[in-house]
Parts: sequence; structure tokens; C-alpha cells
Amino acid sequence: MMIKYIFYFLAFVSVFSALMVVVSKNPVHCVLYLIMCFFSIAGHYVLLNAQFLAAVHVIVYAGAIMVLFLFVIMLLNLNTQSEPHKSTWLKFAAAITSGLLLVILVGTLKGSETMVMPVGNPNAGLIKNLGNTLFKDFLLPFEVSSILFLVAMVGAVMLGKKEIK
Amino acid sequence: MISFLIYKTILVIVIFAVSLVVAMYSTYGERKIAAFMQDRIGPNRAGPFGILQPLADGVKMFMKEEIIPDVSNKALFILGPCIAMLTACMTGVVIPWGDAITIGGEKYSLQITDINIGVLYMFGVLSIGVYGVMIGGWASNNKFSLLGAIRASSQMISYEVAMGLSIIALVMMTGTISLKEITEQQAGGNWNMWNVVYQPVGFLIFLICAFAETNRTPFDLPECETELVGGYHTEYSSMKLGFYLFAEYINMFISSAVIATLYFGGYNFPFMHDLGLSENLITILGVVALFAKIFFFIFLYMWVRWTVPRFRYDQLMNLGWKILIPLSIGNIMLTGLITLLRQKYHF
Amino acid sequence: MKSLILLSGLGVLTLLSEIFNFKRKIFPVVLLGLLGTIVLSAMYWNTNKHYFNDMMFFDNYAVAFTCLISFIAFAWFLLSQNYFNEETNLTDHFALILFALVGAVIMVSYQNMSMLFLGIETLSLSLYVLAGSRKNDLHSNEAALKYFLMGAFATGFLLFGIALIYGVTGSFNLQTIANYITLNSGNIPALFYTGVLLMMVGMAFKISAAPFHFWAPDVYQGSPLVITAFMATIVKTAAFAAFFRLFFTCFSTIESVWGNIIFVMAILTLAVGNITATYQESVKRMLAYSSIAHAGYMLLAILAMNKFSAGSILFYTAAYSVASITAFTVLSIIINKSNNEAIDAFNGLGKRNPFLAFAMTVAMLSLAGIPPMAGFFGKYYLFNAALQSGQTTIVLVAVLASLVGVYYYFKAIIAMYFKSGSDSSPVEVSFIHKLLLVLTLVLIFAMGLMSDFVIRLL
Repeated sequence: MMIKYIFYFLAFVSVFSALMVVVSKNPVHCVLYLIMCFFSIAGHYVLLNAQFLAAVHVIVYAGAIMVLFLFVIMLLNLNTQSEPHKSTWLKFAAAITSGLLLVILVGTLKGSETMVMPVGNPNAGLIKNLGNTLFKDFLLPFEVSSILFLVAMVGAVMLGKKEIK
Repeated sequence: MISFLIYKTILVIVIFAVSLVVAMYSTYGERKIAAFMQDRIGPNRAGPFGILQPLADGVKMFMKEEIIPDVSNKALFILGPCIAMLTACMTGVVIPWGDAITIGGEKYSLQITDINIGVLYMFGVLSIGVYGVMIGGWASNNKFSLLGAIRASSQMISYEVAMGLSIIALVMMTGTISLKEITEQQAGGNWNMWNVVYQPVGFLIFLICAFAETNRTPFDLPECETELVGGYHTEYSSMKLGFYLFAEYINMFISSAVIATLYFGGYNFPFMHDLGLSENLITILGVVALFAKIFFFIFLYMWVRWTVPRFRYDQLMNLGWKILIPLSIGNIMLTGLITLLRQKYHF
Repeated sequence: MKSLILLSGLGVLTLLSEIFNFKRKIFPVVLLGLLGTIVLSAMYWNTNKHYFNDMMFFDNYAVAFTCLISFIAFAWFLLSQNYFNEETNLTDHFALILFALVGAVIMVSYQNMSMLFLGIETLSLSLYVLAGSRKNDLHSNEAALKYFLMGAFATGFLLFGIALIYGVTGSFNLQTIANYITLNSGNIPALFYTGVLLMMVGMAFKISAAPFHFWAPDVYQGSPLVITAFMATIVKTAAFAAFFRLFFTCFSTIESVWGNIIFVMAILTLAVGNITATYQESVKRMLAYSSIAHAGYMLLAILAMNKFSAGSILFYTAAYSVASITAFTVLSIIINKSNNEAIDAFNGLGKRNPFLAFAMTVAMLSLAGIPPMAGFFGKYYLFNAALQSGQTTIVLVAVLASLVGVYYYFKAIIAMYFKSGSDSSPVEVSFIHKLLLVLTLVLIFAMGLMSDFVIRLL
């Protein structure tokens, strides 16, 4: 029962903060709301018994990536005036398309309450089980992702370093 | 259920109060130690040996005029020090302050909660601590504050990486990330040493990173007064400034506790089970031992502050990225190698 | 799998070459490595090996596409030889390209959606950077940023789709998902279908099918020319192979769900690509739109979804890539000479260098689908596959579209032979480029003649 209320609370916070990210005029506020959103999502992970994921989510997203975001925004000193004006037609089109997407996504939920979900191991999120899964079943993706990170690193260094003539 | 809640509440309050008191008297200690090292006397007016000085300082902080700059972002300006204080106090939750105390047949653990991701939790809290500084510095709408905030955040992010990597080596060795279990593994007897014996390099890296994370000298660039006035808290006054300063001391206390727990056996002390003492007495002595270790590290912080000069900013970054990170990766590989060899040859 | 390891190792080796200072020798090593990749993967023909809990499945389809991609990459390296000579960050470029190839190989041989995602990301991430590798060029910056933002957005769709499908089936494995569909046909929840559609959106972005093509022209135009060539050939091939593999293995039994959408998408892509290409001044941009149009043709194979599809896609991508490499080689020589990528730059090329003009003509004719070039047979087999599944309408549209295509491909040919430019000095071609052009020209004709053999491979 308790967990149900916590879930509703977290869900409310995540939806609210996600909305505020879009609605806020001040970019710094957007980032702060996004951080809040990440925290509530980490809360959801905890509810799903995936503490490791929750902690990593907070460390990586809230603790590292968003700091960089905030960093850039603070340095650029963006404010409401510098936002380029978009034409009404564009807004209209965007509203319609994203509205349609929303309808589709909500529509798919219909009937899903009676759906038979495949049941996995409820303790899959614990650190030992996660490690076993990563290093046994998903060994190849795990290793390939190191190539992905290497690419990202090489790319960042290449874009970042000075041209040597 | 109710008794459980009461016990936990009391524990939380006690630990919170202890953190505050320790932080308060750290300021006093800092000034006394500085005075000793510079051949001065230090605060000696309020009470005997100036022992009431922290109280006087606190009252002063509360009484000062509170100024919120006109052009600042008010909500965020207030939020900044709050976050700094909040995150400083949050880590204390997972630290095992002592073993269990038995009262009337019931065992009461002196750790608020033993979550199985203790180290990661600590790390998560640490990583959000940077927001207090960043938000405060930005919301002040002052160039010096912003520069200080940016320095602080880049410094903290950089050293977080090395810190995390140094902990990974430790975790590989202990096989758990629950702080309680890490402490219990270091319990005495049978040549079972503290982790610092097995992880000397990791400990050094962790220690250096802890200095950087708490923005202490020689890494106190975010508030270096010769370049940035007051750094990120230039615009702050009264208790909001007090929060920032206080958070630094609490961080110092907590990080000392973490170092003691991870590398110096936590509440364990030598021959603790060989002296024939009762369980409760051992627990109490353990708490004393832990605090002795903590005070030693707090003293180390101050010792370093008054002997080592401040780094230049590029030196700081070079140290973090080019020395500490490769070193800690090497440490991880070495640890892995030795773990493998131990499994193979059983030594 | 061995080819994958070889490619990754090669990438790491190029990075090390910066440290140990054998930069100048890395070019031949990479070329040899690519040939080695072709040989290594060809050795696995007909072995059908599964790797690592069914993460990868090297069936003939995967082997054929790995060989194709490595071969195009080989040709591409010859094409871009000049570019690399001028480049200061030489090793980084090599490494990024090689890692992109790793991604491409994963994309053609995955058997698990997590591998699909990683493959796509490895490929795209390298390209985001490469597109922006001219740091001082605003167009290049724009291209990189646009590509990155749109690409990240599309990846979001893809991931969301994967997540929904995982939620329903509890698996990332393509075969398991396919089995789920056959076992539960009739009462599959709507969640699953949405997942399929979202994945389709993500993939359609990667192959730049309309209406998800908006990034393509700007990115193709803004990126350095050789990177554009890479995107138009290897990326397109890999993305399409991945798209087809996904839908053929997994979703072929629920064509009623996505068939109509792909149908509309194919028509839109054909129309937008071909019609917009007709009024482009810049040849680079024209080739961008033509690559969109070709994605439209290739969508026919997915619509057909029968036993001819795989073979016809292999042949079509091969024919298209070879012709594109030829066209891009000529274009790069012209741009080097006159620093102008407009169609006027080709004026009088027939007299200035008849060989180049001939190569360009053959490439254009092949892209337009004129017999006896490879492009014609490619279209023929694609249309044939679609007709076998009774897709008459779309074939009609495609034929009409290729008629429009003939118009703009001929614009270049007309400029070369019937217009005279202000500059009439002869154009010189380096030995390697000559070699490359001869190779591709021979291939364009040879593939036309041996089309039957290639088709029967798969």
C-alpha cells in the first residue's frame, strides 16, 4: 500500500518536472527540473528493486551529464530573449504531430492491463545478478559498448584539440 | 514498528547533531592548529582556551544582515546553500558508526541504514553536492561567483572520476559495496589487516580526491581569495554563507569517516575480540576508535591546509586527469591481476 | 566474427600508430586489413555460426553484406586517399572510419536488438564527428549538429520501440520475438505493434526515407566530400541491411501492420527524392537527393518481403554503392580542380578529360538504371521481387520515378559533353584514382552481366 502511494508520488513528480522542463522559460530552470525528473526516475528504479541502476542513474545523469549541461548553459548565459522566434505554423504543425504521437502512445496502453507480461527474476536489478547477466548473457554487447565509448572519446578529442599546422 | 521508527529517529538526530558539533569544533580546531603552526595563540577570549568561540561565531552568523542581491535569481540563490548543506548531511546515513548495541535483548545497530549499494549511494550524494556550489554561484549573478562555481564543478567532476576508479579497485577486493560488510571484513584477528595495507595506492588517490572534493587546500581554487574575491560565495552573507562554510566542515567530517571506514577498519580496533570485553563495551570502544580515526583525518586536512600552498588551476587539472586517473586504472588492473592469481594459486 | 575482431583491432592499431609514429605506413595496412576482412568473412560462407548467446548470427546474408561493406570501404579508402594526405588528424579519421565499419558489420549480422542498437550507435557516433571534422567550416558544423540532433532523436524512437517490444515479449532476440508472434498471433497487444512502428521510424531515419529525410540534404552537403561518399554508400548499405534483417526475421508475419506505412513511405521517398533532385544546382546535393530516392527503391524489397528480397537488396546496394563511389570520385577530382561543386563545374569535361567524363557518364547511367549497367539490373530485380508479391502500384510509381531520375542524371552528362566551360585546361587524375575508376567501371559492367549469379547468392 505504502509502495503504491510512493509510486504515485514519484510518478507525479516525474511527470510534473518533465512538463516543467518543456514549459520553463529560463534554461537553467529547465535543467534543474530535468535533474528533478532524473531523481524521481531513480526513485522508480528503487521501487523496482534495481538499486544499482538507481544509484548509477543519479551518479551518471544527475551527477555528471546534467552538471555539464548546466555548465554550458551558465557559460552561454542564455535568457528568454535570445530564443529564436518560431512561426505559428511551425508550432501548429509540431502540436499536431506530437499530439498524434501522444494519442498513439496512450492508445497502445488500452488493453495492456489484461496483458500477460513475461515474468522475470524480481531480483534481476541487484548488483550480483546484474553482473552475472552482463558478463554472461550480454558479454558481447558489453564489450562492443567499449568500442562505442572509444569512438566517442576519439571523436571528442578530435573535435576538441587544436589544429596543428 | 513504532519502536523501530523511534530508534531510527533518535539515531538520525544523534548523528545529525554529532555532525554539526564536530563541524563546529572543527572550525575551532582549524584556527587553533593554524595558530600553533604559525606560532600564534589563536582564539582564546570566549571561554577557557576560547572553547566557546564556535558558538560566538554561530551567533554572529545569525545576527548579521542578510543580503540578497537585487539582480540575483532569488529562489536559486536560497536553494544553493540549502543543497550544499543537505548533501553534506546525507552521506552520514550509510556510514556504520559502530557495531550493534544490545539493550534488553534487542540489538540496535549504530548504522542508520545498511543499503546494499552503500558506496554507490555515497558517491551519488557526492556527485549532486556540486549543484549547491553551481547553483549558488550562478544565481548570485556575479562574475567572480560564476567563475568560482565553474571551477568548483569542473574540479569536482574531474576528481570524482579518479575517486570512483580508486574505489573500484577496493570493491574488486572486498567483493561488496555495502559499507557495513566492508567494515566487518576488516575486523581483527588472523592477520586480517585494514584495507589500506592491501590498497595503499587506492588510499592515496582516494585521499587526494577527497581533498579536491571538499574544496580544501591545496585544491581550494573555487574560493581562492587572491583571484576570485570569495569564489562562489562572494555574494552570500549571514547564515547562508554560514551554510556554505559549515557544509565544507561537515564534508570534511564525513569524508574522514568514509576514509576511516573504507581503508582504516571503521569501528574496528586491534585485538578487539581478544581482550574479553562485553559486546556493548566493544561497540562503544569501537565508536571511540572510529572517532579517533576521524579526528586524525580532520587533523590531516588542517595540517595540509597550513603547510601546502595552493595549486594553479592547470596543475590541478593535470594532476587529476593525467596522473590520478591513469594511476587508478593501473591500480585496478593490478588488483584484478592479483585477485586472479590468488584464485589460481590460493594464497 | 573474426572479421569484426580484425576491424576493431585495425581501429585500435591506427590509434596506436599516432603514439608509435608509423602514421605514414598505416594506409596500406588498413587496405590490407580490409582485404583480410573480406577473405575472413567469406570463409564463413554457408557455416551459419551463432556467437555469444545468439548475439550475432553470421548467416550468408551477414557474410555477403560484410564482404560488400568491406569492399566498398576498400574502394572508399582509395577514393579518399588525397583527403587523408591533407588531413592533420589522420589517425583519428582512420580510427573513426574503421570503428564505423565495425558498427556497420554489427548492423548486418546482429541477432539481438541490443546489438542492433550498439551497431547503429557506433556507426552514427563516428559519423556525427566526421561530418563536423572541418572545424572552421560553418557548413560542416551545421551538418554535424543537425545530424547529431536528429540522429539522437531517431535513436530515441528506436530505443523506445525496442523497449516496448521487450516489454511484451521479454526478449531482445530476433528469433524469440518471431516465435512469439507466430505463437500468439491474434492476441498480440497493441504495445507490441507500437514498438514495431517506433522501430520503423528509427530505422527509416537512418536510411533517410521520407518523411524522415530532412536531415540528409544538409548533412550530405555540409560534410566533407569523402564523408558524404561514405554516408551515401556504406551507411546506407548497412542501415538498409539492418532494416531488412530486422523486418525479415522478426516482423515478416505481421506485414498487415506495417505494410501500408512502408508503402506510403516508399511513394513519398520516391517522389520527394527524385523530384527535388531535379532542381538542384550543386551536384553534391543532387547526389544527396538521389540517395534518398534510392532508399525509396530499396523500400520495395521490404514491401515485397519474399525470397527474392534479400538477393535483390544485396545486388541493388552493391550496384548503387559502386556507381556512387565512381560519381563521388569524379566529383572530388572536379572539386579539387575548380573548387566548385555546382553542375557548371562539369562543363566541357568531355574535352578536358574524356576518361573522367566517361566514368561519370557510366555512373550516372547506372544510377539512372539504363541497361546494360548494373543499376538497371538492380532495379529490374527489385521490381521483379515486388511484382512477385503483387505490389503493382508501387512498381508503377517506382518506374515513373526512375523516369524523372533519368532527367537529372542526364543533366550532368549534358553539361559534360554539350556545354563548354570557362576553364578548358585538362584535368589530371592521380594513379590511384585512375585505378579506382577502372575498377569500378569494370564492376559496373561486370555486375550487369553476372547479375544472375549475385542474385542467387541469397
